Amino acid sequence: MVETGHFALVLAFAMALVQSVVPIAGARTGDERLMAIGTPAAVTGFLLTALSFAALVTAYVQSDFSVANVWENSHSLQPLIYKITGTWGNHEGSMLLWVLILTLFGCLVALFGGNLPPTLKATVLSVQGWIGAAFFLFILATSNPFVRLNPAPIEGRELNPVLQDLGLAIHPPLLYLGYVGFSISFSFAVAALIEGRIDAAWARWVRPWTLLAWLCLTGGISMGSYWAYYELGWGGFWFWDPVENASFMPWLAGTALLHSAIVMEKRSALKIWTILLAILTFSFSLLGTFLVRSGVLTSVHAFATDPSRGIFILCILTLFIGGSFALFAFRAQTLAAGGLFHPISREGALVLNNLFLTTAAATVLVGTLYPLVIEALTRDRISVGAPFFELTFVPVMVPLLLAVPFGPMLAWKRGDLYAAGQRLFAAFSLALLAGIGVLLFIDRTAVFAALGIGLAAWLLLGAATDLVLRSGIGSVPAHVVWRRVVGLPRSVFGTALAHMGLGLTLLGIVSVNTFQGEKIVAMNPGDNIAVSGYALHFEGMKAAEGPNYSENRGVFDVTAPDGRSLGTISSAKRFFPARQMPTTESGIRTFGLGQLYVSLGDPDASGAMVVRAWWKPLVVLIWMGGVVMMLGAAVSLLDRRLRVGAPSRRRKPVPKLADSSS
Amino acid sequence: MTRKQKRLSVIAGALCFLGAATALTFVALGQKASYFYMPADLKAASVEPGQRIRLGGLVENGSIVHGKGAEVMFGVTDNKDTVKVTYTGILPDLFREGQGVVTEGSFRPDGTFVADSVLAKHDERYMPKEVAEGLKAKGVWQPD
Amino acid sequence: MWFWIVAALLTLGASLAILLPMLRARGPRAAAGAYDIEVYRDQLAEVDRDAGRGLIRPAEADEARAEIGRRIVRVGRAESATGPAAASRSGRLLASVAVLAVPLVSWSLYGVLGSPDLPPEPLSARLAKNPANSTIDELVARAERHLAAVPSDVRGWDVLAPIYVRMNRFADAANAYSTAIRLAGSTAQREAGLGEALAAEQGGMVSADAEAAFRKALALDPKDAKARFFLATAEAQEGRSDEAARSWQAMLDDLPQDSPWRGAAEEALAALTGKPPAPAAAGPAPGPTQDQVAAASSMSAGDRAQMIEAMVARLDGDLRKKPDDPEGWRRLVRSYMVLGRKTDAEDALKRGVAALGADSAAAKELDRFAASLGLTRTE
Repeated sequence: MVETGHFALVLAFAMALVQSVVPIAGARTGDERLMAIGTPAAVTGFLLTALSFAALVTAYVQSDFSVANVWENSHSLQPLIYKITGTWGNHEGSMLLWVLILTLFGCLVALFGGNLPPTLKATVLSVQGWIGAAFFLFILATSNPFVRLNPAPIEGRELNPVLQDLGLAIHPPLLYLGYVGFSISFSFAVAALIEGRIDAAWARWVRPWTLLAWLCLTGGISMGSYWAYYELGWGGFWFWDPVENASFMPWLAGTALLHSAIVMEKRSALKIWTILLAILTFSFSLLGTFLVRSGVLTSVHAFATDPSRGIFILCILTLFIGGSFALFAFRAQTLAAGGLFHPISREGALVLNNLFLTTAAATVLVGTLYPLVIEALTRDRISVGAPFFELTFVPVMVPLLLAVPFGPMLAWKRGDLYAAGQRLFAAFSLALLAGIGVLLFIDRTAVFAALGIGLAAWLLLGAATDLVLRSGIGSVPAHVVWRRVVGLPRSVFGTALAHMGLGLTLLGIVSVNTFQGEKIVAMNPGDNIAVSGYALHFEGMKAAEGPNYSENRGVFDVTAPDGRSLGTISSAKRFFPARQMPTTESGIRTFGLGQLYVSLGDPDASGAMVVRAWWKPLVVLIWMGGVVMMLGAAVSLLDRRLRVGAPSRRRKPVPKLADSSS
Repeated sequence: MTRKQKRLSVIAGALCFLGAATALTFVALGQKASYFYMPADLKAASVEPGQRIRLGGLVENGSIVHGKGAEVMFGVTDNKDTVKVTYTGILPDLFREGQGVVTEGSFRPDGTFVADSVLAKHDERYMPKEVAEGLKAKGVWQPD
Repeated sequence: MWFWIVAALLTLGASLAILLPMLRARGPRAAAGAYDIEVYRDQLAEVDRDAGRGLIRPAEADEARAEIGRRIVRVGRAESATGPAAASRSGRLLASVAVLAVPLVSWSLYGVLGSPDLPPEPLSARLAKNPANSTIDELVARAERHLAAVPSDVRGWDVLAPIYVRMNRFADAANAYSTAIRLAGSTAQREAGLGEALAAEQGGMVSADAEAAFRKALALDPKDAKARFFLATAEAQEGRSDEAARSWQAMLDDLPQDSPWRGAAEEALAALTGKPPAPAAAGPAPGPTQDQVAAASSMSAGDRAQMIEAMVARLDGDLRKKPDDPEGWRRLVRSYMVLGRKTDAEDALKRGVAALGADSAAAKELDRFAASLGLTRTE
């Protein structure tokens, strides 16, 4: 089975080579037979990669330590779920997952691309083939997960205990679905540049694929943030760690792409810009892969580093990013410009959104790469952390967030800012009240908190206002409202949900940053502390054995501010003998939308346990907002507009134009 | 305004915004980037008390002292010089004597380094990159 | 065999997947513009829907319809440019190359990268097979699994502990001995074994922990040869040669003639009093490879001494040829110290520091290491 997987991987590489040459040759020469090879090549490539991945998972599940990768990252006593997730909890396995997802997307284009013009489809599949071939080659040359050991060791070295966690089961695959999903928009953009034309079907295709990738990336980032929050035991949810930034940049660029693709689809405008964004977004994804995989940056995610890998990925990076930008420079002017619009219009608002988002992505890029550049130039080692991003990213984002509710209120082509402002007056007043309320009733000194919460309320109420106005609540009878709500395009709900999700996340972030309570104390059994009104009574330490670790668990009784008993909360120090590695399991209890978070330290000089406890108000909203954004994307994906049939000979060639002249 | 003028004003506005963002970025880089030092580098560099830096090296053997409550004192060394660091909080799981560590904080006027974050490696096979390179450059540590 | 059949089938399938579309006849295809018109048709329908629902004003709807109409007209104008294309000769050539490339690339690349002869080795199957065919590692793993499931099986720990010592897994051995002691109390054998494992972990140096274990063993059984031998070794390592000599002599007087420890004690004594052949500390002491030393414990005493001497000599020779090896110098110094040849150890230290460069970090490290063995460099 192992060697079958290895062979399937090599065969998949051969298929990727065919896929990268033959269909595009067909498209350039107009040879239909050659173009037709794209579909089966993409499907077979995916099936072979899936077989290869299944073989690796099987080796992990069966603890086959004759596979070097399994030996390095698994242990026979690891719980089954972590044996499985261990498959992608390491460099080689995660790269295999990367190409698996890449070929999956290629396969989906091949299967559902019947309504695409054949030359476009063939070219897109070939561009996918280029990316696939490059990464297959990378895996086979520098990161082969199927390298064997003979004789086989009897026990593995175990997956890093920090990674033995359910969050890791979901986080990387979702993140990769996002990263790699943007390869579709990239392939479409490059195909359009090669073809020198943008078909009407182009925008209709790019938008749902971007949405899907964006949905997954949002989920991956949220999940990763939650994982860091509870697993690393620092109680923080975002560290501006270079690797987090690496996933955040494609998200920002992808968000911009999502919005400009709307303009492109609706109005055939911003074509060149959309293509540039598609290239940029996937370039950020590749850059992220490079930063994480090459080990040029220090991070949780940097697995054992190997310079040859870094150079290889750098070559891929240069080839694809440089190549696509060069292609853009040469071919962009061949694309016809699109429709015109007034600066104050839906299009204008979306351009503004793009401007802010790309600038935000640029500040993150500068902050992430600056230390690398400085080190290369001066040998000084510096780090750019949260203070930098608070000073640059936040000022760029705040005006954007202020502008968000206006976007959906403006009409296409020429909007009326004054009218939009009138409609948003209620939302604005309420948001202002929320901010003033914070100042008056919670904390008179918390000016930033008041502004932040006011902004979050503005986003939430603004999105709600859009829905209320469109459905006509308050202006038309109830049954009409219902008919209108049912009839609204799903994308309207999608927009409102995504913008509300943004508001929820912002609310969570502001609330945690300004109102969280924290205590660090040394406690003996029987001691009491209080955090933001929650009383903790330290019961004592309990020893226990897990499947592949032993633990020492500190148990605390929790009492609510109103005196109710809330049960217990516990945090553990675990020790994994296979790696001789200790970890801390934080204790987290959710009450309402806030969380009580307890983390154990080492005993102090007198033998008392050092305990760090937080009350984090509304912290759940940070990730709930992410989920709501994902929901918005999902609802938009279901919009029937995104389903277009393939042309058939029987239909009337030209639709009735009579309507348009009436 | 003609269409052309409108377009120009939009582009000018965008450029102004980009210029402001760029300026902000450079100011922030100048102020907020923190430099990384090993103990032996500190003599050559003039680090003011209160200036945020990152200090990396190995945790000196036998130097960890648990003080009152959650306060911990330890020495960060590169086998040439040693800096005393105090930190209040929970140390990372893989914080051990003789292991690589990166701390972030600033010097008090009396010369002790007060750290507000302490990072150790996340994996026992892995050493913080700056520390590994710094030690390699000083010939103290050989990667295997 | 199965693997080759599967590989051949996969290759065949992949080749067919790209061959078949080549052979299939194609119907006339829709012109590129037809796909665009399909999209515009859909957009018009959408405008109608929105207008019907009152989401956009009639004037806006008309404007939108007119705009889409203009796009349709533009497509109609470009339409005439597209013509049918036939399969060309070069196309057929390319397709044939592609079909051939699949087996060629995959089989040759796999030939370089793959290991088709290695069977998969799932752990459960390895542990379930007949013990007679198992390797020592597999047997030990089986015992470990059993002990993980039934950690209170004292006999299992007792059996496993000395095996660990043989396998040079000294930390595991120490753990096994202490577990057995925790479960079933001290016996002279367990305590002495624990001491031996701890000493072996330190490369033959009898640490305070090891010494404590040996003392416990001796308290339980004053005649325990292993404990007596190592306690004497500890005395010798601390430089109390007279006491060590007395202890070994006392041992020789007490031990029965057939005791396996006689030889070791005799040699140790001989080494201490300077008489050749210089013997070695028993147990898995120092040396270039631990395996050889472990093997030495099953040799006769004379052979063992010779072998250890030879290994130290070889290490010394290697370091003269290739002096840039801090770890090697440390081993050499330690070996001489454990062999009781202090002058040689001092000499090795001096040469090592000179070879590594007197001011280098590695030399300082070597100095520190030597100091920990009670050796200082004389300039």
